Amino acid sequence: MEAILNIENLSKTYGNAPNQTKALNGITFQVMPGEFLGIMGSSGSGKSTLLNCIATVIKHSGGSIVMDGENLAALSGKALAEYRGRKIGYLFQNFELLDNLTGRENILLPASLHKMPENERQQRLEQLAEYLEITDVLDKFPPQMSGGQRQRVAAARAMIMHPKMILADEPTGALDSKNAKNIMEKLSGLNRDEQATILMVTHDSNAASYCRRILFIQDGVIFHELRRGDETQQDFYKRILKVMAQLGGGSLNVL
Amino acid sequence: MFSDLIFRNSRRSRKENGLFFASLVISIVAFYIILSIANQDVMIFLRKMESDAVDKLLLLIPVFYIMTLVILFFLIYFACKYQLQRRRHEFGVYLMMGMSRNKLFSMLLAEDGVSSLLALAIGLPVAVLLSEIISLVTAKLVGMGIIGHKFTLSLPALVFTVAGFLIIKLGAFMILSWKISRQEIGSLLTDTPEGVKKQKPTFVYAVSGIGGIIMLAAAYYMAISGRAWEEDIIMLLAMILGMLGTILLFYGMRVFIAMLAGAGKSGLHVFNFRQIQENVIRQSTSLAISSLLILAALCFFGAGIGISSSNSQNRDHVFDYTFRDYGDTPANEVLPEIKAVLRENGLENEFSGLYTMGIGNIRTTDEYKGVFTMDTVMEAIEQFPETQQREILLNNLSYVDNPHVIRLTDFNELLKLVGKPEIKLSGDEAAVYIDPEFIKEEQREILNEILSDRPEAQLDGSRIYLTGEIQSEKLVTDRSITLSFALILPDEQFLYYTQDEYDVYVNGVLNPETVEKIGLMNTISAINVHLDTLNLQEHNLEYESYLQNMGRQLFFTVAASYITSYLAIIFLVVANTIMGVQFLMSQRKTGRRYQTLTRLGADYETLCKAARKQINWFMGLPVFVAAAGSMFGVKALYRGMLSMEMRSTQGEMLIISAAVILLLLVVEYIYMTAVKRSSDRYLLTLMEPQREE
Repeated sequence: MEAILNIENLSKTYGNAPNQTKALNGITFQVMPGEFLGIMGSSGSGKSTLLNCIATVIKHSGGSIVMDGENLAALSGKALAEYRGRKIGYLFQNFELLDNLTGRENILLPASLHKMPENERQQRLEQLAEYLEITDVLDKFPPQMSGGQRQRVAAARAMIMHPKMILADEPTGALDSKNAKNIMEKLSGLNRDEQATILMVTHDSNAASYCRRILFIQDGVIFHELRRGDETQQDFYKRILKVMAQLGGGSLNVL
Repeated sequence: MFSDLIFRNSRRSRKENGLFFASLVISIVAFYIILSIANQDVMIFLRKMESDAVDKLLLLIPVFYIMTLVILFFLIYFACKYQLQRRRHEFGVYLMMGMSRNKLFSMLLAEDGVSSLLALAIGLPVAVLLSEIISLVTAKLVGMGIIGHKFTLSLPALVFTVAGFLIIKLGAFMILSWKISRQEIGSLLTDTPEGVKKQKPTFVYAVSGIGGIIMLAAAYYMAISGRAWEEDIIMLLAMILGMLGTILLFYGMRVFIAMLAGAGKSGLHVFNFRQIQENVIRQSTSLAISSLLILAALCFFGAGIGISSSNSQNRDHVFDYTFRDYGDTPANEVLPEIKAVLRENGLENEFSGLYTMGIGNIRTTDEYKGVFTMDTVMEAIEQFPETQQREILLNNLSYVDNPHVIRLTDFNELLKLVGKPEIKLSGDEAAVYIDPEFIKEEQREILNEILSDRPEAQLDGSRIYLTGEIQSEKLVTDRSITLSFALILPDEQFLYYTQDEYDVYVNGVLNPETVEKIGLMNTISAINVHLDTLNLQEHNLEYESYLQNMGRQLFFTVAASYITSYLAIIFLVVANTIMGVQFLMSQRKTGRRYQTLTRLGADYETLCKAARKQINWFMGLPVFVAAAGSMFGVKALYRGMLSMEMRSTQGEMLIISAAVILLLLVVEYIYMTAVKRSSDRYLLTLMEPQREE
């Protein structure tokens, strides 16, 4: 099976010499189709930078990102917009729903931006709404929804175009534990049933335990990798906690 | 360092809000020009002869001044409010770092002061220059000559401009910055979420929209039908209905926009209309006020053009002077008498010719009524298809039963001067004279057609035939006499019917060489000065010159165009700035949405296109409502303000309306382009991703 995302020796520097900060310092990994990959790391480790590079929100400084056979560095203008709209679906920490649009209008926004046929978008909307249990809030405006509903609407928006990959940036960050659990269940369900490829950045170990594989990033490099074998989610969660503790302890040792 | 910060911040504000800054400069210019109106060459000149009217006008200036100050105060208040709102976070940081509230307050004040002074530094020289140019151009246009022009700097105007501007600017700013600097740091640092306003059920908005339209229709009906002009209370009612109707219309407009939002599915259509809807919901009242201001501006322009064009219609004239003897000098001795007076005072050479105009009443009978009848003519008019004009004509002519008579030889002299063929009348014929003020083109055609059949009429029991075409040359230079209906009779018949007792008006034509050399106005002014030193009353003589006529026309034209363009410009500027600033500010407020859109795969061009579309709609809606209203508004103004003469010239009114709307389109285009460019620039800054934690 061929990897859907191929990242090689990726680096990103902010600022000009001599005040440069290396946010990413040579990261290499691959994502297989249908994978649910988590990226963990403490604040400032470079995990958000990594996600932003893949989402083409910022340009990487070195190395390459190849998504579905396309080198992102070669994209520009319309092709870049197409890539953002069709190849990836982005899930934000604070949902980023447009609060003057109804749920339905929010979800359909990418579809109308990228000219998806009318009947197809209706069908897809119904399918997603039903699965994510948001059918009855479709005609409400975001401020009238609960946090969990909002994030599920956002998830439907990210999924509407059948993206090759969903990029989720701390999707549980703004949710209480109950809603966090719910959205994670839905995401892993989508991963299981639709073979949706998901790349999720988080520092919530609980959320991370839904992943099949986790990369730990520290100071711009991959520091550790965890794979969930046949173990239960509970056991996987414990292993994650252990690594997190090591991460913390590691810093402590240095300091 | 502190002063550096002030200058930098104030420069940034100007840059971010260039539209608002430009509007301030324009209002300074407008202020100075209207305040220095008394110094304009034309006004200085008019003051000599129409001093009452000019003084009345000048008394009105402070009213306009105060009124515009109030309007500008609101503009400045709103624009500054948005500007400060955007910087709340920055202020919070200043306070966190230990800046005292008083210092923050004085810093904001100083920042604003820098901008105000700069606006004055740009605006005042432009204003002085522009008012000089206007003074020269109008002087040249009205033929006063510009040799005597002196550069004037109106000190009071300058002082009041600066004072007025600074007072409202500082006043608005004090209130705002005081409010801001009193707030808690916490609330400054965190962005207060806008939240969605509680919505009422759709039918409330639908009802309000429809109610608004009905109220507007009622208001315009009252104004156009003329009822509003007859009673103050109805006028007030019409005004209130109009304003309330507009506000309700904009309040209910969200339903209409929601419908539009649902109508399309491609691209950012839904997003655009939701954005417009949100803006309209948040600012429906200020949009309604903008729309009303634009409407007022359009009506002012329309009325201004109408008044000035109606007063400059009959500029061509033949006679420069008319002398009259109101004593009992026999008619045939009037001309020699006047000639003698002029000769004695060395004024003889100023005139190239003196012409008599004999006008009298029928004195062959003691009756006052029924001296003259023309049933055939009246019957013939009734044969014409029924129009408003025909009815007016019938009504006017029904009062004609004892007309004045004019001596044919005198009238033929006049025709010769104008360059028209003379009239030839036999003993039983008469020509019809109607002053141009009393007849319209359509009526003239009807009458001419009837007169071509040589209809019969009765004059004091004798049969006469009316013939030729309707004559309408002005008999005197100004207003010594205007005749709504008169008969031109051959000299013999004239003398018979008037029994040798008639008035003689002596018309003078000035020496063309002098006029050529120093201009008509100056020539007449000089002669008037001379004439006024003579004791004409001693000879029972009075005179009128074309100057009065000219002055009156000039005064109306100048006053109307000055005042109306002043108000129209101020209103347009204020309305457009309010709309533009509001749009840009709410765009900044919702900047995140645009960022989200880029993440969803919208590129810069798509976003710019979307924002432009929003601008077109957001600013277009009030403009459209105003333009539609102005069709009725201009008509209503004409109904109420203009003379009968102007009222029915429908075609002309259409042209004026079209011109006004064209002008509006140009202004709106300029403003919208400015707002669009501003929006494009802002969106570009959003394309740069910012690191946020």
